[in-house]
Amino acid sequence: MAKFIVRRFLLLLLTMFLVSIAVFLISEASPGNVAKNVLGAFITPEQEASFLAQMGLDKPVATRYLYWLVGSDWHARHKIGLPLKRVTTPRGFEEWWAVNRQGELTRWMLDGDNLVAIIRTADGKTLKRVDNRRWHTDAKGRQRFWGVDRQNHAVLWEKGNRRKVWTFIVGAGWKKTSGGPISYIPLKKGFLRGDPGVSLRTGRPVAKSLFVRLRNSLVLAAIAFVIVMPLALLLGVIAGLKEGSFQDRFLSIGGMMFSVVPEFVTGIFLILIVAQWLKLVPGATVFGEKAPWTRPDMLVLPVLTLTLIELGYVLRITRASMAEVMRTPYIRTAFLKGLPYRKVIFGHAVRNALIAPITVIMLHVNWLLGGIVIVEVVFGYPGLGAYLLDSALYKDVNALEAGTMIMVMIAVGTQLAADIIYTFLNPRIRYS
Amino acid sequence: MIQRQATNENVPESAGNGAAVSRFLDGGWRKTKNAAVLLWASKTAMVGLLLVVFWVGTALLAPYVTRYSPTEQDWKAPNQGPSIHHILGTDELGRDLWSRLAYGARIVLVILPVTEKFWIPGGTAIWGVFASLLLGAALGLVSGYRGGWIDEIIMRALDAMMSIPIILLYLIIVAAIGASAVNVVLAIAIVGTPGVARLVRGLTLDIRTRDYVRAAETRGEGILYILFVEILPNAKGPIIIDAMLRVGYAIFAMGTLGFLGLGLPPPSPDWGSMVAKGREFILSGSPWAALWPAVAIASLVVGLNLLADGLREEAMRYQ
Repeated sequence: MAKFIVRRFLLLLLTMFLVSIAVFLISEASPGNVAKNVLGAFITPEQEASFLAQMGLDKPVATRYLYWLVGSDWHARHKIGLPLKRVTTPRGFEEWWAVNRQGELTRWMLDGDNLVAIIRTADGKTLKRVDNRRWHTDAKGRQRFWGVDRQNHAVLWEKGNRRKVWTFIVGAGWKKTSGGPISYIPLKKGFLRGDPGVSLRTGRPVAKSLFVRLRNSLVLAAIAFVIVMPLALLLGVIAGLKEGSFQDRFLSIGGMMFSVVPEFVTGIFLILIVAQWLKLVPGATVFGEKAPWTRPDMLVLPVLTLTLIELGYVLRITRASMAEVMRTPYIRTAFLKGLPYRKVIFGHAVRNALIAPITVIMLHVNWLLGGIVIVEVVFGYPGLGAYLLDSALYKDVNALEAGTMIMVMIAVGTQLAADIIYTFLNPRIRYS
Repeated sequence: MIQRQATNENVPESAGNGAAVSRFLDGGWRKTKNAAVLLWASKTAMVGLLLVVFWVGTALLAPYVTRYSPTEQDWKAPNQGPSIHHILGTDELGRDLWSRLAYGARIVLVILPVTEKFWIPGGTAIWGVFASLLLGAALGLVSGYRGGWIDEIIMRALDAMMSIPIILLYLIIVAAIGASAVNVVLAIAIVGTPGVARLVRGLTLDIRTRDYVRAAETRGEGILYILFVEILPNAKGPIIIDAMLRVGYAIFAMGTLGFLGLGLPPPSPDWGSMVAKGREFILSGSPWAALWPAVAIASLVVGLNLLADGLREEAMRYQ
């Protein structure tokens, strides 16, 4: 058993690794780029190149994948020659600083031909001093310097190089400066060290947005799950009790209809009927910065949509399992030896009939995830699925990778859990 | 629904049912009559058949049952409810909703628009299923017949693919290769392949032990002959039933992709994107543009499933 779990766990890691490579390559091969998606179609080629360079997207794919996976700070540190440190400011921003020989946190900026060091003191203030000693001359006689700039990049400056740089500042537009760096390495710790990087679309750390989105999605899924499970199992047992009866046909055909119709169609029907026609609850979710549970009325329709779709599926499995159990010899025996109906059903039938659905449901998380993505889009719910969709459309590869990894982890992880639970529920099964 | 095939592949059961149904579906007049009797016996299958026939008929006859072209705009009558001029109403550009639905059915079931000017027969959903059948059958046959490390590699790779949430697969594939009918076919094919491969592999494992395969091996037939002449024709029953359900998944997938903005590019009358566009006008009081395409998708998918379910049930009863 332990061997089985370890093997499956390694397989999970392998799957994640392969998927992460696949996502990287696919988003690489696809047309368009993030600069055009974020900044609009009318940017000049220079602006585009400048944006891509600042994001580190001008590097080869292999390098970018490596940076994403294990981080870029070790590489940058090698170039700069000073240790790098990530600090979180009191206002919640993450900043990279180099630690100089005196143990001071340092960044640099260029002021004409002068190199200015920005020192961060212990109380969070900064002071500037000219630091021209750091220029060093390379074989071709150019004066160059690798340092950390103020936007969390490791950068290469060259003295006298009047390279133009466009920085896009949200709200302020383009800022054009000259004397910019020649090369950028965006500093990050890498996915394996718990830092999925910065969203190329919003400029915010992916981990922060993702945490909120994941929480919202989990709230939605958990509520739906709590409602669906007892209801579907109950209705499934009722339908399976008497195969072919009216309630069986009604429940199984009804369940089938809800489970085969696409989620967005069910969602649209519910919006039209409940929100638009009966005007009972709002037909969209608007939370802003607040948590979803502060507006329970807005949760009603998304949860109902998910519930209807899942209900049909679980119901049909429970029904099949129950019907099968009702045909077994031990149920007949129980009836023949004169046990009361209720005792046969609850004591013998239901317990055996629930083994299959419970494991199948765990396997079904894969589908639930798909349903959640659509439901989130239909209702504008700020969850993981909507985030993933936006990231995929914008080619925001950092956000896309992080979201994908979480989804794969959930899907494969629950499949593993289902296999393990199954051995407990059904002792006849052994994994070797 | 799309995801079910990934998680709950019940090979033995569907194999049994499929064999029974295929016995009815296999050519010959007597068998056709049997199938008709079977259908007639099941009310649900009848309802399913009616829905499917309605949409297939509409799709085939789209130019004859509509008064407007699907892209003709009537600027004076945007976002209208049903009326004499427009039976189902109009969308935000004043295009006739019934025309768009009928031509949308055409894209799903009857034609595959390769470029704007050029199309080939066979609907987008049909081609998607067909491509996944081709790919999946080839992989499953080789994997099941050869066994050993080839089997191991193919199956592990497909397992890994199946463990990725399907919606994610769609997102990544279509976001990467761009939105067009051919790419939707590709996405449906890629996502459907692992399921078909598993089914075919299971059937192949069973069939390869039969005497006629032994005989072919002894005769010294090549592997291609054995796979495609000996094994595949004997596995076709369950594959046909599976394909029927897969058309349902494919329509589901097409709708979902269209809704997410990853389907056919506008102004194609794509049901999913019609819902997505119409949704914006629900709040301003014109629900029709979102309602009708949603009804269309629901009725076609439910019809297909009722038909497949009813057929399978009746076939089992008479088995």
